[in-house]
Amino acid sequence: MMLRASVAVVVALTLCVGPAASAYARRYASELRRQSGGRVTGTVKLTLANSAPSPAGVYERRAVGPRPRAQPEIKSVVIFFSDLPATKNAPMQASIAQKDEQFAPHLVAVTAGSKVAFPNEDPFFHNVFSLSRGAGFNLGRYPSGSSRSQTFTRPGMVKVFCEIHSHMSAVIRVFEHGWFTVPNEDGTFAIDNVPPGDHTVVAWHERIGERRDRVTIRAGADTQINFTLPVLEPGQ
Amino acid sequence: MTAPRLLTRALVASFLTVALVLGAVFAVLSLRVRDQVRQSVADNLASAQQVFIKVEARRQQDMRASVATLAESPTLKAALDTWLTERSTASEETSVELVETVQREARKIAERVGADVLAVADGSRRVVAAGGRLAGSWPRGVVIGNAADASLPSARAVSVGSGMYHVVSVPLQLGESTIGSLELGTALDAHYARELADLSRGQAAILSKGAVLASTVSGPAARDLAAYKPSDTGGATMTLAGESWAIQPLSQLGDVTFLALASIDRAADGQTPAALQGLAWVGLGAMGLAVLGSVWLARTLTQPIDQLSRSLSAMTTGDRARSAVPLSGTSRELDQLATTFNSLLTSLASAEAEAEATYLGAVRALAAALDARDPYTAGHSERVSIFAVAMGEELKLDWEAMETLRLGALLHDIGKIGVPDEVLRKSGALTAAEFETIKTHPTAGARILRSIPFLAPHIPIVELHHERPDGLGYPYGLKGDDIPLAARIVHVADAFDAMTSARAYRSGRIPVEAIAELRRCVGTDFDGTSVEALIAALPRLVAATEPLDPKAMQWTPRARSA
Repeated sequence: MMLRASVAVVVALTLCVGPAASAYARRYASELRRQSGGRVTGTVKLTLANSAPSPAGVYERRAVGPRPRAQPEIKSVVIFFSDLPATKNAPMQASIAQKDEQFAPHLVAVTAGSKVAFPNEDPFFHNVFSLSRGAGFNLGRYPSGSSRSQTFTRPGMVKVFCEIHSHMSAVIRVFEHGWFTVPNEDGTFAIDNVPPGDHTVVAWHERIGERRDRVTIRAGADTQINFTLPVLEPGQ
Repeated sequence: MTAPRLLTRALVASFLTVALVLGAVFAVLSLRVRDQVRQSVADNLASAQQVFIKVEARRQQDMRASVATLAESPTLKAALDTWLTERSTASEETSVELVETVQREARKIAERVGADVLAVADGSRRVVAAGGRLAGSWPRGVVIGNAADASLPSARAVSVGSGMYHVVSVPLQLGESTIGSLELGTALDAHYARELADLSRGQAAILSKGAVLASTVSGPAARDLAAYKPSDTGGATMTLAGESWAIQPLSQLGDVTFLALASIDRAADGQTPAALQGLAWVGLGAMGLAVLGSVWLARTLTQPIDQLSRSLSAMTTGDRARSAVPLSGTSRELDQLATTFNSLLTSLASAEAEAEATYLGAVRALAAALDARDPYTAGHSERVSIFAVAMGEELKLDWEAMETLRLGALLHDIGKIGVPDEVLRKSGALTAAEFETIKTHPTAGARILRSIPFLAPHIPIVELHHERPDGLGYPYGLKGDDIPLAARIVHVADAFDAMTSARAYRSGRIPVEAIAELRRCVGTDFDGTSVEALIAALPRLVAATEPLDPKAMQWTPRARSA
């Protein structure tokens, strides 16, 4: 409930002070470029992969060939600053392979304008489409060995699916600045060159939700911050 | 009041016994038939319901399977997952189009599986969108079941709002994660009860915690149904509103019990009359056979007894139907009775014959004694008897008439017992008074015979043997055919013997003369037929009688030495 409330507050604030903030942000960004930033390091700990009880299925899960290696859930978390202004970043090249009937990696985080390739590494057709608002696309079906790409310009979240294999999904986070990262498999992460000041850091997982924290960044200094997901509410 | 006949009594007694036994047997049988019909109806219902249970389980399985198949919709999953992720992300605004997509998919699936309500729910079973007939009662945000219950079976009974639903859950999975579920709801209402009833070809009811949620049976029966307790054996028989019902539990879903019901009474009512009717026909046939049997039995029992009693009554009324009673062979006792009766009859007959012989002996002795009073008439009665019998043979009289003739001729002069010796033995001519005395002997003889019952047939011979065809005879002066033939024969025989016999006053004439005399007097004194019969019998009489009793047959005139 705290989480919901905070989301609501942030959304409301964004809507209300949006125009003013954007004028301020442009001035602030040019100032940041002049001074050297700080560094944020920390650990993300997942306590629960999926909280929903799973109803018994009618059939055994379908399996073609050997079961693909499960991707570590920690790699589906992204750490980012939510209140830093947009910066101009060079487009990134990212790739999400379609292998063993799953998207690998499950999550990529890119800067706006980046191009993501979707090579088909399975011996059969795949498809890539998205219903995400403002970023809906459909790359059509394409055969084994070929690849198609999509450029993401709008910051936010894009969920990607395959219309042939309904259990496949991937998520792409698009940021308008460069202060974001995906933690290592041991949960550690580091974001360099963060402008000094008081900022909000978010650890986000598509299903578990997000955890926000305020940090004060000093120039040339390391700031430690740890996250535990999901946020356990009192009494739970 | 006369006592009933033995036949009737035997008939009634045997028939009543058989009817009573048959009645008892049929009463017991009809009860058993009723029981058996009920049992078979209950068994039929149970097996039909067993089949239905399997079919219904299969139907549920198929429904889950088709929902599971439809759940693999990329559009639905993509829309739901995208929407759910956006919802949980503070920086994202939730999209109306995504919810609409989910809604559309839910409606489509609901339509395809024909669900009352089909909801797409999130991981906490909170409804995102619903489709189907009753979609309105599952608004967005409603939790289907207890979200905290981790051990969720794929099918369960859930109370949503004011209604109870049978819910089948199918998970929506994306990779290793479960993003939500499809909740297929079937309202446990009268509509579903009717559907169950149609499938089971009977009645159906849905019970929950001792209350009837819905049923297709009438009000009072449904009220009684609330007392239903599930039994281990499965099927049960229960009395609902006074009727007997076969109840088969179809399935159990949490607190909710599904029952198939059928009224045994109503089903049995259709079949019992048919079975009883068959039984009634058999009973009717058995009764008919019983009637025939008892008639036969009564007749076999009573016929020999009837015969015996008829013989006995014939004997007591004096008719001479003295034939022996035949042995019926139907029972030893009756045969013994008949044998005893027959030997009684035999001894009675021999006693009677003895008595008759005694009488006859006495009468003959009397006649002989009479004849002996006059030496000239000795043997007269015997000879007249022999002549009369010979004449009777010529005239072809039957045996009985011959017997009468023989004895009658022997006794014809018995009345002379009352005639004094001096008149009888007088050698001279009789005075008129003496002749009158002689003339009384036929009536006197008849009077004597009348006292002996078995000599009654001989009376006319004795009484009328002096009548003449011209009516000048005595005692009555009868004419021609008014005189019995036997009397006429004896008259001729008497005259012939008298003529050929010696008398005190004259010697006997030879037969030829006697015949001539007889012939001369035919029509006046003598009967022509009888005279001709005598003439015809004469040679035979000479041949046959002489060697037997030369003395008696000594009808050639000669003097008898005293």
